[in-house]
Amino acid sequence: MNEHAQSGERLCLSRRGFLLASGTAVSVTLLEGPLSVALGQGAALQRATYPRARIGRVSQLKADQPVTFQYPWKDANSTNMLVKLGREAGGGVGPARDIVAFSTLCTHMGGPLAGQYRAQHKIVGPCPLHLTTFDLTRHGMVVAGQATESLPQIVLETKGDEIWATGVMGLIYGYHSNLAPRA
Amino acid sequence: MARSITYKYLPEDKVLLPPPDAKVATTACDYCIVACGYKVYTWPLGREGGPKASQNALKVNFPAGINTGKWISPNMHNVVHVDGEPHHALVVPDGDSKVVNVGGNHSIRGGALAQKCFNPNKPSQERLLSPMMRVRGTLQAISWDTAFEVMAGVSRHVLDRYGEHAWAMKTYSYQYFENTYAISKLAFGSIRTPAYAPHDKPGPGPDTPGLDWAGIDAFSASYEDWGAAEVIYFAGVDPWETKSVLFTTWIMHGKNPDKKLIFALPRKTTGVAWGEQRGGLFLPVIPGTDAVVQLAITRLILEKGWEDKAFIEKWIANQWEIDTGMGRGPRNTPVEWFTTWGRYGIDFAGYKKWILGYKYAELKTASEISGVPADLIRKAAEMLARPRPDGSRPKTSFMLEKGIYWCNNLGNTTSFSAMGLICGAGNRPGQMISRGGGHQRGWMGGAGYPMGLSPEKFPGRRKKEIDLDRWVVDGKLRFAWVIGTTWVQAMAGSQELMDSFEKMTRGNPHQIKSFDPKAAVETLKKRVDSGGMLVVDQDIYRVAPIGTEYADLVLPAATWGEEDFTRCNGERRLRLYSKFYDAPGEAQPDWWIIGGFARKMGFEGFDWKDSNDVFEEAARHGRGGVLNYHPLVVKAKQDGKRAHDLLREYGTEGIQTPIRMVGGKLVGTQRLHDTTLQLGPPEGPTVHPKWLTQFNSHSGKAVLMRSYWEDFQDFFEAVKPTGDELWVTNGRINEMWQSGFDDMRRPYIMQRWPYEFIEIHPDDARARGIESGDLVAIENDNVLVQTGGYLGVDDNDLSFTELRKAGHIKTSTGSFTAVAIVTDAVRKGVTFANFIWPSAPANSVVPRVPDPVTNRYRFKLGKGRIARIGESPYKRSFTSMTFAPRPIA
Repeated sequence: MNEHAQSGERLCLSRRGFLLASGTAVSVTLLEGPLSVALGQGAALQRATYPRARIGRVSQLKADQPVTFQYPWKDANSTNMLVKLGREAGGGVGPARDIVAFSTLCTHMGGPLAGQYRAQHKIVGPCPLHLTTFDLTRHGMVVAGQATESLPQIVLETKGDEIWATGVMGLIYGYHSNLAPRA
Repeated sequence: MARSITYKYLPEDKVLLPPPDAKVATTACDYCIVACGYKVYTWPLGREGGPKASQNALKVNFPAGINTGKWISPNMHNVVHVDGEPHHALVVPDGDSKVVNVGGNHSIRGGALAQKCFNPNKPSQERLLSPMMRVRGTLQAISWDTAFEVMAGVSRHVLDRYGEHAWAMKTYSYQYFENTYAISKLAFGSIRTPAYAPHDKPGPGPDTPGLDWAGIDAFSASYEDWGAAEVIYFAGVDPWETKSVLFTTWIMHGKNPDKKLIFALPRKTTGVAWGEQRGGLFLPVIPGTDAVVQLAITRLILEKGWEDKAFIEKWIANQWEIDTGMGRGPRNTPVEWFTTWGRYGIDFAGYKKWILGYKYAELKTASEISGVPADLIRKAAEMLARPRPDGSRPKTSFMLEKGIYWCNNLGNTTSFSAMGLICGAGNRPGQMISRGGGHQRGWMGGAGYPMGLSPEKFPGRRKKEIDLDRWVVDGKLRFAWVIGTTWVQAMAGSQELMDSFEKMTRGNPHQIKSFDPKAAVETLKKRVDSGGMLVVDQDIYRVAPIGTEYADLVLPAATWGEEDFTRCNGERRLRLYSKFYDAPGEAQPDWWIIGGFARKMGFEGFDWKDSNDVFEEAARHGRGGVLNYHPLVVKAKQDGKRAHDLLREYGTEGIQTPIRMVGGKLVGTQRLHDTTLQLGPPEGPTVHPKWLTQFNSHSGKAVLMRSYWEDFQDFFEAVKPTGDELWVTNGRINEMWQSGFDDMRRPYIMQRWPYEFIEIHPDDARARGIESGDLVAIENDNVLVQTGGYLGVDDNDLSFTELRKAGHIKTSTGSFTAVAIVTDAVRKGVTFANFIWPSAPANSVVPRVPDPVTNRYRFKLGKGRIARIGESPYKRSFTSMTFAPRPIA
């Protein structure tokens, strides 16, 4: 039994459930709309407001075959991977709670992690720059390496077959704020 | 270990940028030997900079670019007090750095330095805030003056009645020149006690005698050398684990990024995996057996004639050069007692003859003892020394660390230096023999260790430094002042040591019942007169058990960022570690506390106004040494500056010691024993020791030393696992620093490593029903400890066999618990734990019998039976600990 199962959350983990299970105190205001919606700046640290974006379908994901998507912005820093691990994961959605999404920029110095997914161990890395690896079943925790933050996890929700990105846990490399990343 | 205590790290999704007018200070990392350069930005609360380059002090447009070293992660931010007012502080790797951490590279440890700073709203609020005395069993706040009065009152009594041998200090050897100078000036100059030990060993003395006595300075190499090497042999070290930037900047890159790496370790780490992938080798040694592997490699090289003949001809001492001379050399070193009989140092022809006939240097024998396949040893010899078809040789360098020198200290380090020397390494760019290093180099001796007063003696005439732990266990101490170290769990056979402390402090009937210092002194006099002891613990946090259980006085120290300090890194690079925020409460830097006590004792020469005063005074004690910065102080005086301020101008680049003056300018020294260094006549305060351009022996040539497996074999056979026991070796893990004193206050690190761990091979785990995430108990009911045996008279008196015959070896026990990680990264039969997790100390299962010649512990040679207790709370947690494999490249 794991914590999530014991917590009695419903099978399809809601964003609220995800956040609680992850132990975060962040409270989220839902904001319907496409990526291009202008976001309010200066969101307080503990009260993040993220856009909602449909990023894929449960039925189209194949185990251990990551797909790329942009969120919460369209610039290079907002590149993420969506992957069905085939193993239950912290913050996982879908029937097996094994679908997760993470930023593909290493939180050490921004090394590219796309293409570095290791199916056997459910980790991503080593980062080609300084060899950091991250555990995708454990909210992007560093397995070994130099990153000073876990790999930012994209908060997911499912609505039927649809997978929606609804938030980001952790600061994406390069940004000083996920919600107001540039001048 | 209830489920509710598993860590849940709460990441932030924003970090404040420093406004353009934020104050900037330079410093270096507080942790590992590499000492990456950092910049600290501070500014008052209520403001922040913007994402345009013109809007922030970093002068960077956000988003920051990849690998620019200009991004700030949320763990680089904290709130501190500056002159009593709350300020934001960002501790950021110096992205402009051209040395050490070029381009802002950093480790996970240094990158989270900001979380070290005292913040009443974060876990660092646990800092010690005032001096405390244990009255009626509880540590309570007192004044500095009361603390000094009690310490001085008891010290006078102890020194008068029991002598300086009963008055001890156990301190870090590295936490800044200003503090170590004050400590050594007091201990060795004013008190003149021989009862002193650095944090990581039972007494003073060399860690790597095989280097020192061969004439090689342990930190002679520069980071450029590791970068330029074509082949590197790593003995008992993977710099990727905790010398992160030395590996990720200099070994993965540097002048020659195509270098081949050979690792001799009992455990495959990330650096090993990376090296193997690029054509390197992994020699999976059984703990303690490196000497035979190194001897076998050396012998293979000599059999093939691959040695560097030109180098040997010019730079290896002949017999006459070994046997004569009045300066430094085996005839006149701490090992005179054995070299006098010509057993170790020998000329090249003699060495070659010896090793070609020496049983334990045979490939087959070495392979059997070490568990390393013969083919791998053969390949290693070839990679290290085989000349290319055009006759040129690979530029080979050799790095060693605790994996070999905390096993078979003498045999491993002598065979290591001999192997390096015959490959032509030790005195030129890219071809060096050095330590990788652990902590930084921060010792500046204010007076010499009073060897003549030491209670220990080698056979023959030479005195030997004290083994302070044995001194405690034998009940010889009455006063112990501990500064910045965990002492008990950091030492071998630690549970035996713990029992002794308990008995002499809390177990004594005389306990302080009054805040009146005179009454406290009277009580403590009764305690010491009845065989008890006063322990004073000076640190930044409460350290269990030395500070929480055994100490009657606890003193709060100010540390990194709270005072201007200086020290050198692993390439002798001297930097100023700037003060940028207020020390918490009444915490004071260690030099100030030493001064307060010394003045109370009536000692002269402790009236420093500030840390710069200490730095300038200490300079003359380092003249002629490897860390000599005296010319900087002279230059500062010439320029009408404080020496700290002149060093501050050198920023994160600093300057490599020994510092010289050339043409009126200060010049650093890149490497030692450097045959490419051109020296003119020494100018002004400059000193030109011979070892700048030659080896550090009286002849200037390096000495080959024989290594005898027989010297170690009796001990090795006695401590190796039998029956269902496994080796329980230990070491550092990249994500943590030392005892975790700061890491335990970093939720980010604690989610990764919430408890002691032990790596165990899948076959060993299966046989015991252990899975990753299970809590296991490790127990050793055969922890060998030495008691007595202070004086050697006949040749072999201090060997393990003779000590045992004489009744000086007894059996103790030790145990700890850990979370199992099942992995084939460790050899079958070998397990690996974090070397110092204070609440579950792996050193408790380690024998406490030091090397008879060098007094160094065999920390890496623990053993025990391992049994499953049950599931740990981390086994099925998604938020605490991970069991994914580490060595992946």
